[in-house]
Formats: sequence, C-alpha cells, structure tokens
Amino acid sequence: MKAFFDKVIVGPLQEVVRKIVAFLPSLLTGILVFAAGLVLAWLVKLLVVRIIRLFKLDATLARAGVPDALKKMAVKDPPDRLIGRTFAWLVAFIFFILALKVMKVPVIDELLEKLLLYVPNIIVALVILTLGWLLANFLGRAALIASVNAGVKLASLLSRGVKAVVLLFAFVMAFEQLGIGRHTVVAAFAIAFGGIVLALALAFGLGGKDLARKFLEKRIRKDGEAGPDDLKHL
Amino acid sequence: MSDRPADPSRNEPGNVPAPDVEILVGIPSFNNAATIGHVVRAVEAGLTKYFPGHRSVLVNSDGGSTDGTTDIVREASVDYESILVDHRQGGLRKLVTPYHGIPGKGSAFRKIFEIARELGVRACAVVDSDLRSITPEWIELLVKPVLEEGYEYVAPYYLRHKYDGTITNTIVYPLTRALYGKRIRQPIGGDFGFSGRLASLYLDKNVWESDVARFGIDIWMTTTALATGARICQAFLGAKIHDAKDPGADLSAMLHQVVGSVFGLMEEYAGTWRPVRGSEPAPTFGFAYSVGLEPIHVNLDRMMEMFRLGIKDLGPFYRSFLPQEVLAALDGLAGETDRDRFVYPDEAWVRTVLSFALACHRQVASREHIIKSLTPLYLGKVASFVIATWDSSAEDVEKRLEELCLAFERDKDYLVGEWESKA
Repeated sequence: MKAFFDKVIVGPLQEVVRKIVAFLPSLLTGILVFAAGLVLAWLVKLLVVRIIRLFKLDATLARAGVPDALKKMAVKDPPDRLIGRTFAWLVAFIFFILALKVMKVPVIDELLEKLLLYVPNIIVALVILTLGWLLANFLGRAALIASVNAGVKLASLLSRGVKAVVLLFAFVMAFEQLGIGRHTVVAAFAIAFGGIVLALALAFGLGGKDLARKFLEKRIRKDGEAGPDDLKHL
Repeated sequence: MSDRPADPSRNEPGNVPAPDVEILVGIPSFNNAATIGHVVRAVEAGLTKYFPGHRSVLVNSDGGSTDGTTDIVREASVDYESILVDHRQGGLRKLVTPYHGIPGKGSAFRKIFEIARELGVRACAVVDSDLRSITPEWIELLVKPVLEEGYEYVAPYYLRHKYDGTITNTIVYPLTRALYGKRIRQPIGGDFGFSGRLASLYLDKNVWESDVARFGIDIWMTTTALATGARICQAFLGAKIHDAKDPGADLSAMLHQVVGSVFGLMEEYAGTWRPVRGSEPAPTFGFAYSVGLEPIHVNLDRMMEMFRLGIKDLGPFYRSFLPQEVLAALDGLAGETDRDRFVYPDEAWVRTVLSFALACHRQVASREHIIKSLTPLYLGKVASFVIATWDSSAEDVEKRLEELCLAFERDKDYLVGEWESKA
C-alpha cells in the first residue's frame, strides 16, 4: 500500500516540486527582467515627453489639430503624454517578451514565435491608419475650402463625406493587412461603397435634377450671359 | 497704301533680330485675337512716334493661341500718315514666338526677358494683350523714364473704375506699400517699363516653376525691383479698360497665385521690409486727368452670402490662426442682416490679412489651404467696401483706400513682432 501511495502520489509530487525548484531561477530571472523593463518604460516615457516639449513638437501637433481629433475619439490625454505612454508600453512589451524567453517554456516559445511573426503586420496596419488619418484630414479640408469657395451650401457635409471615405479605405486596407475577415471586409466595403455611390446618384438624379440643370446651363451658356457681377479682381 | 517709316520684318520663332536693338516691347498673349491687334498697332505707333532714332523690337510671346492671335500680330500695321506729320526713321522689327514651361503670363515674360538679354537692350516695356484703352503715349511713358531719366522700373498708374482691381485695392497695394515703404499704386498693373539690367536680373531668379510663372509675375517684378533697391517711378497712363483676366480661372486660384506670391516674397525679403516704417510717394510721370468710367453691376447679396458661408463652415479652421478679436468681429459681421450695417472695419481687415501672412510663415497648415480660405473673407471686405462707397466719387474712394493703407502701416509693428516670434 505504501509503495502504491509513493508511486501514485508522492513520486509525481516530488517530480512537480523538483521541476518547480528547477524552474524557480528562470522565473525569478524573468520577473527581474520584466521589472527592469517596467522601470525602463517609465524612464522612456519621461524622456519622450521631455523631448517632445523641448523641441516644441506638442505645439506643432496642436496646430495640426491632433488634440481636437483625440478629444473627438474620447482620448483625454494630451498628445505628448499619449506618445510617451505608447513608447512606454512598447518598451514594457519588449521586456515582457524577453522575460518569457528567459523562462524557456516550450509552449510559450512557440506562441511567441507566432506573435513575433505577426508584429510587422500590426506595425504596417498602424502606419496605414496613421497615413490614412492624415490624408483624410488634408483632403477633407481641401474639399471644405473648395466647396465653400464654390458657394456649396452643404460644404461641411461634403467635407465629412470625403474624410469618411478616405478613412474607410484606410481601415479596409489595415484590416486586410492584419488578415482579419479579409474577404468579408473587402466584400462589405465594396457593397457599402457601391451603395453610397448609388444613393448619391439617385439623390442627385431625383432630388437635385433642377440643381443639375442649373449647373449645366451655367457651364454651357455663352460668355455674354456669364457672371453674376462685373467685378474685376485683378 | 500708306508710307511706313520702317518695314517691320515678319520674323518667325527663333529668328532673333541682330543684337543692336535699344528698346524691346513685349506682349504676352493667349487667345487674345479680339484685342491684340489694337495693342500691337498702339505699340508700333508709340515706338515710331516717340523713339524714331532708336532700333526697337516688338516681341509677342504666345502661349499657343488657337484663335489666330499670332496671325493678327504679324498682320497688324499702322496707318502712319494718320498719326505722323513727317516720316520719321525708326527701326522696328516684330518677333512672334511661342513660350515654353508652365502656361501663364510669367512664362511668357520669361521668354521676353531671354530675348531682351540676348539683344542687350537698354529699355524694355511689357503691355497686356487684352487692353482696350492703350494709346501710343503709353509706350513713351513706360520707356522714356528708363531710357532718359535713369529709372530702372516704371510702374503704371491708371484711372480705373472704383471697383476694378479689388485684390489690388484691398490687399496687394496697401500691404506692399506698408512692407516696402513705397507708394506704388498699381503694383500688379500688368504694364511695366524696366531696364535691360533688371530684365537680366529677373531672368537669373529661380522662380519659373512657381506661381510667379502664372498670375504672380506682376507682383514679383514690382517687389523684386523694390527689394533690390532699383530706382522706381510711376507713369500716369490714363484709363485702363481691359477684358477680364482669364475668365476660366476662379477667384480663389487668382487669390492664391497673387497673394501667395506676396507672402512668399515676404519670406525672401524679410530682412528688407522689417526695418521699414511708413511710406513715401514714388515720382510720377505723365499728365493726370479725369476720365469717365462706365458703371458696373455688383452682386452684393452673393458676396455677403459667400462670406457667411465661409464663417459658418471654415470657422474652426480660422480659429487655429486668427486672433480672438478678429474672430469676434467676423462672427458679429456674419450675423448682420442689415446691409447698411455690414461693415468690415479696416483694423479687423488688416489683422486678418496679416494673420494669414503669419499663418503661412508659421506653416500652420498647407499654404494653399490657408490662402484659398481667405476668399470668403476677401469677398466680405469687398462687399463692405462697395456698400460704404456706393455713392462715392473716384476721388472719395481713393481717400478711403488711403485710410486703409495707413491702417496697414500702423500695424507694421505688430507684424514685425509676431514674425520674429515665430513659434
């Protein structure tokens, strides 16, 4: 009975304890590496915020309308702190990976390998989203100014539409890069975009036929009839 | 058949006359068949009548007209018996040549400068091809100060309709005057006289791929002359009656090219304009007289509507660079329903223009976006100006513009201070 008890209970328990004891140094090293990473991340955050303020990049970001855009996305932190925090998380993440590596657990190693291979996709997707956001703002403002100068009453709506379409493009490209619902997203985008175009065509065709007629008349009519006034600006 | 003092040669592109020419008159053109014949005849008559002992060349720099403009230039001739008592001997040649590069007046001028340098001319003049009021005397007035008085740049001084040249009146003239301290009333007039040396200096500048190649050429020539210390005078040319500049071009594009050139030149010549305070008159040649000018139709409602639309939709953009007091004035004006109380005060307008210049200097957004967003505010100022001067005579309007110029000069310290404290 004792031999059976030793074989079934004590033996495996001793084996577990032995493995835990053998794993303890690696675990301790991992915890130390991660703790060092957290301290470093905190320092990096302070440094990045200091650099941004030193070179007045926060003022540049403010002029570019970044704080307003962040507020619209319910982000309360100012851009400099947000960037600092992003860098801190990046450092913490890198040290977390290092800590896991140090612990040499086969399953975690395998998972890490897959994660690391996926990281470039995340970076590319973030770059696509950032560029898309900048382009959307630029084109949105260009459309707004052009339509105001053309006397279009719905200039603001038009501008928001242009911005939304560019952002939609950016999101679709980013999702495709991440491999999330690749076919579904593209199909949904095609349906949504086609739908918008069709809706606009119907809206203009039915609701705006008089406007279109006036527009064409204005474009086609002879020079003698042109111009609402005779001002010569130059 | 009339006698001619000289037999103008009908030169083809690339066939440049022999390099012993003293005077060159350039005419840029693009589809100006309706008016260019008159301009060419006036230039020919002016050169023959007032510079009979000088060898001259008339250069038509054309942008690829398809309406027969160049044929009209080649065939235009003057009935000299009707304008000259005696047959004076001159040496006028005519050159019709296409220009290359960005389509626009500036590129046409570049070709004219190249020919002037190649011929080593002493004096040049350029006149627009859409002029309906040019006379032979214009050539005398533009060329003689250079040839005989030692001036290097002759700016035109016209009598224009009180609502003709509103970009000049509300922005370019007051701002240029406040910046460089010289009262050049028509800095973007379009018809200038200048020395061969200045033509060569213009040619050496690397600006021919910018807005200078388009509508920006006039202000660029004037400002470069002012900033490089050239001796400048004005010539009173009488009335200016002309076709609208490039009817296809929209207002915001014109504003972008002209005002963008003024702001760009502020960067280049900051060291020159910053110490300048006040202004002095420029010597003026010619006999000043009054001319009758036909009334024109102005659509005030449309301009005010555009202004309100701009304030409503571009308000958030303006808030990123316009001072609080200007924004408050603009908001108040946009809410004004009584036309008689629609007043865009000079002080607010001056701060508006200067803030746009500072916004470009600080690069708060794309330069094109900043300047094009000035269009609704400009229309608001023009509407306010028209309302205030509807019953005024031309002289009263000039007095009103003088007040605006003085407001610009008074705010020079603000501009310099803000410019130097670039964020």
